[in-house]
Amino acid sequence: MVGGGGVKVSLEWLKRYVDIKEAPEVLARDLTMFGLNVEEFHSLFPPLKGIVYGKVLDVRKHPKADRLSLCRVDVGGEKILDIICGAQNVREGLGVPVALHGTVLPGGMKIKRTRIRGEVSEGMICSEIELGIGRDAEGIIELDFEEKPGAGIEERLGSSDYIFDIEVTPNRPDQLCHVGVAREIAALYRRPLRMPECMTLETGAEYRLVIENGNDCPRYSAAFIDDVATGPSPGWMQDLLLAAGMKPINNIVDVTNFVLLELGQPLHAFDRDRLAKDMIVVRRAKNGDALVTLDDIERELDGRDLVIADADKPVGLAGVIGGRDSEVTDSTRRILLESAMFNPRLVRQTRQHMKIETEASYRFEREGDIGITVAALERACLLIKEIGAGCPALFHADILADPALVGKRKITMRTRQVNRVMGTHLSARETVSLLERLEIKSEISGRDVIASVPSFRRDIKAEIDLIEEAARVYGYENIGREDQSGCNIFSHISGDDKRIETVCNYLVSRGFAEVITSTFMDPGDPVRMGWLERDPRCNAIRIENPLTEAQSVLRTSLLPGMLNVARRNSLSEREGIKIFEMGKVFIPAAGEAGLPNEEMHITAIFTRSVRPLNWFGKQRSFDYFDMKGELEALLGRLGISQEIVLAGGGEGTHQFVCNWLLDSKLIAEAGVLPSSVARIYDSEHQVFYFDLWIDDLPRAGRDRKRYRQIIPYPAVKRDLCVIAADRVMFADIRNVVKREAKLLEKIWLFDYYRGGHLGEGKRSYTFRLSFRSSKGTLDDSTVDREIGRILTALQRELEVVLREE
Amino acid sequence: MNDDDASRLDIEGFEERSVKAIMEARTPEMLEEQRIRFLGRKGEITEVLRSIVRLSKDERPVVGGRLNELKQRLNALIEERKALLETSDGDEEPFCGDPTLPGRRGWEGGRHVLHRVLADIKEIFFGMGYSLATGPDVELDYYNFEALNFPPDHPSRDTQDTFYINRDILLRTQTSPVQVRYMERHTPPLRIIVPGRVYRNETPDPSHAAEFLQMEGLYIDTDVSLADLKNDVTFFIHSFFGSDAKVRFRPHFFPFTEPSAEVDMSCFACKGEGCSICQKTGWIEIMGSGMVHPHVFRYAGYETDRYTGFAFGMGIDRIAMLKYGIGDIRRFLANDLRFNSQFWTEIWSGVVE
Ligand SMILES: [Zn+2]
Repeated sequence: MVGGGGVKVSLEWLKRYVDIKEAPEVLARDLTMFGLNVEEFHSLFPPLKGIVYGKVLDVRKHPKADRLSLCRVDVGGEKILDIICGAQNVREGLGVPVALHGTVLPGGMKIKRTRIRGEVSEGMICSEIELGIGRDAEGIIELDFEEKPGAGIEERLGSSDYIFDIEVTPNRPDQLCHVGVAREIAALYRRPLRMPECMTLETGAEYRLVIENGNDCPRYSAAFIDDVATGPSPGWMQDLLLAAGMKPINNIVDVTNFVLLELGQPLHAFDRDRLAKDMIVVRRAKNGDALVTLDDIERELDGRDLVIADADKPVGLAGVIGGRDSEVTDSTRRILLESAMFNPRLVRQTRQHMKIETEASYRFEREGDIGITVAALERACLLIKEIGAGCPALFHADILADPALVGKRKITMRTRQVNRVMGTHLSARETVSLLERLEIKSEISGRDVIASVPSFRRDIKAEIDLIEEAARVYGYENIGREDQSGCNIFSHISGDDKRIETVCNYLVSRGFAEVITSTFMDPGDPVRMGWLERDPRCNAIRIENPLTEAQSVLRTSLLPGMLNVARRNSLSEREGIKIFEMGKVFIPAAGEAGLPNEEMHITAIFTRSVRPLNWFGKQRSFDYFDMKGELEALLGRLGISQEIVLAGGGEGTHQFVCNWLLDSKLIAEAGVLPSSVARIYDSEHQVFYFDLWIDDLPRAGRDRKRYRQIIPYPAVKRDLCVIAADRVMFADIRNVVKREAKLLEKIWLFDYYRGGHLGEGKRSYTFRLSFRSSKGTLDDSTVDREIGRILTALQRELEVVLREE
Repeated sequence: MNDDDASRLDIEGFEERSVKAIMEARTPEMLEEQRIRFLGRKGEITEVLRSIVRLSKDERPVVGGRLNELKQRLNALIEERKALLETSDGDEEPFCGDPTLPGRRGWEGGRHVLHRVLADIKEIFFGMGYSLATGPDVELDYYNFEALNFPPDHPSRDTQDTFYINRDILLRTQTSPVQVRYMERHTPPLRIIVPGRVYRNETPDPSHAAEFLQMEGLYIDTDVSLADLKNDVTFFIHSFFGSDAKVRFRPHFFPFTEPSAEVDMSCFACKGEGCSICQKTGWIEIMGSGMVHPHVFRYAGYETDRYTGFAFGMGIDRIAMLKYGIGDIRRFLANDLRFNSQFWTEIWSGVVE
């Protein structure tokens, strides 16, 4: 009945405690708006298609089978059907449900024209069990209404009972039973609640009941039944149990289950003659204690587990499951009926490490009603007596750790606060009547209200809990909208968010597709990526309880996830991959209370064709400078004007990867993936990537930016072709040029050449330099001096010389 | 004049055809071709001139004069056009002979649909005065549960299956821990939204993911009420889904808000009639919400009675699924570009008036 955060209740059962006139769909909607979310409701027995009213015209014995009858049945058609029937109660003139040829019964059986020992049968006269609407398999259903033969009677056969599947939140264990739900319905429709009848038990049974610790077990009540006669429980009880999804077992167990589903209090019946020295001890298990539970599993217990024991040994796991050896059987003569309250945390702990969840544990974990243990026994005793399952003793035993636990809690609810939270204008008197409907009695004291909360509402502990109840009964839909919110707070822009959005949108405009990959990484990925052991990316944080081993660590880089995306898209025949992701990576750190560093990265991958198939140029693949150009442009967009230093090749297989340093701080890694790594991720193509640590970039700062005057004088352009040795890099030359030239505005490299007729180990670079002065038009001699200074410095520092034509 | 003459002497028709051909010539060479075709020695004009003999003596000079005039005009036009074509910087013909050839384009890109939807949602809340706040994905149990009034070992924790790093550290199951973190550093009035990735230890299926995007909202001041919560949430739903959406608040339970409410909106697909999207109820669950629980204020170090506030939270994946009819939540992290690219064209996830 419970599990998955819900309860199944039967409409017929609910009607025992409160009048319900509403149609099921109306009740479902009203309960939902009252906070009991009805997830689903359905008729207990869904009506069958193809069942018609039949009139038995005559009956004679089957010539070759004594137990069978040959019937002629009028089902309205032109032809009277011949049907063979095995039931004893079939007789002439009877109205019966007939399943016609082609009908499929709930058990999956398909009705067909058939022959039984030489005689034809053209349909089936049905019993309750065959139609799935009851337990009676003995005879066919005798319809107690008249219909035209052949008329469909599905509607009239279906049960009038409905099953409601209600979501119950963890704070409301009181709703996990029929009386609890009926109480809400009574409050909803302002109708009286009829509590079930009980037998009155007197206190003071002479029984040895020992509770080791009142914290573990705040209350233990027990009743005693003599002259037990086990057998099946009566039909009405079995019907209700079945409707609520519980299998009938025997009259004693059925009564305990019935009370559980009625009042929400779990009961357990012990065979009293199986309890050593006829006593009950509620204690923690000792090491070495073991118990075979009702599910036939032998369980080893330890000090975490609370057990019910007799003089020698445990006989039950408190609040979770009983022991097999003290179970009620056909030979049971005397019973001890337990109704207790256990510490929810202990029940939860035992349930978790025993990996077993029961109706009882589900309720105990949610801390039920400590005030109801005796009433539940009294109800059970009455039922046992009524159905003749045994003879209840007049006295019961009851140990309560602290009498204050069963008292009503007094809580003050300030009317002003009610209105402040709800946005209403209720008076104290109005709030009193709202609470009254939930059986919370309260009195007015000055402007406020003092409420007495009954023990079945353990969840109401403070004023705000009462306000919530008042709001719920008042109806959220009635809470006004005319109160405009008096908000005068302005939104302020988050610089980090703005920057990330800007970068993402910029990359999109550059033709990148954004992807979002999983935070989880395969612990094998760092090895696959070829990262060296001391690389911080190899030290990933492990999840204690991962979904799968391949998702068991937190990513230290976006690359593995993105490579998988590239691979999957290559498989779907994407010719070119140009993707980026903005996301967090997790690097262990000795930060706040052991939380890792969460670094925001922007990572991009380029592989396969540089552009879609086209007619205007030769198709080629992405190369290093495609990637580098995008990263340079991105940094430009971010306002990074400082010098970026490329620290040469990475280590090991990562020789074609550069670290990008800004003020000697690593801001990016960029290059080509080693082909050995690319192949692991199923790529036969070169894979280029950059990985940018966006958090570490200096902020451009919206305030520092100033407009610069545009220089009205023309620029002078000069081309310069120089020869350098192989060890000299473009960046070295550029840096010297930039440093030496005072009036340099811009520099372009427009030709680059290696080896060939220059000779081994030589390169030539051709630059175009643009000079401009803010003071006036430049004359040639000034520019010549600039060039002269540049060449001198190049020769002196780098042995770079002007190329002779 | 008989019909025969009229057809041969269609001067207007000749003029129209020749002018059109001259104006359409795109190179000097093409122009020369046209000159020869119309005005050359064996050109069409010679044909026309020859046919004059068949006209009456009175008509001949009139028609002849008109033709000469036309010939001069066409010659002038050709010269003019030639000059134009020759002086245009000597450009080559730019169409490669076919202006309908495809243009030079690179790869197209686009945002991921989840981030697009989030951006649209953020925009609405920024307009309402909310600011952005963020927090860590790897979170302390304290912020994710305890300070949000989930007691240790309490069944309320069962509603959120959790990935643990160790006893005290976990992957946040909700963006709500940022509420307490933010309150610790700020004094009301405050009004924030908190987007971020959250994690649940659930086996993925079409409607459950182990990681998804959530967005939280929080507003705290001295007198914020349930009525204010209804206002803001309704305003958002109307902005995002359209002002014809009906909104209902139904009582619910969250440990960190009280009173709490689930927010449903009328199904946009069936307008409340009941369909497969709303599971025949006519309503779609869109977010959880409620008034900030006094215990949370206490954990954040506020005087509990001084302030009231509300909070709400929604799943961005779920909203994107509803909005675009995506049936499987696992699509979002699969990144099949055939899926991703469907959301690159100019779309607005919100309402466009
Ligand atoms: Zn719908």
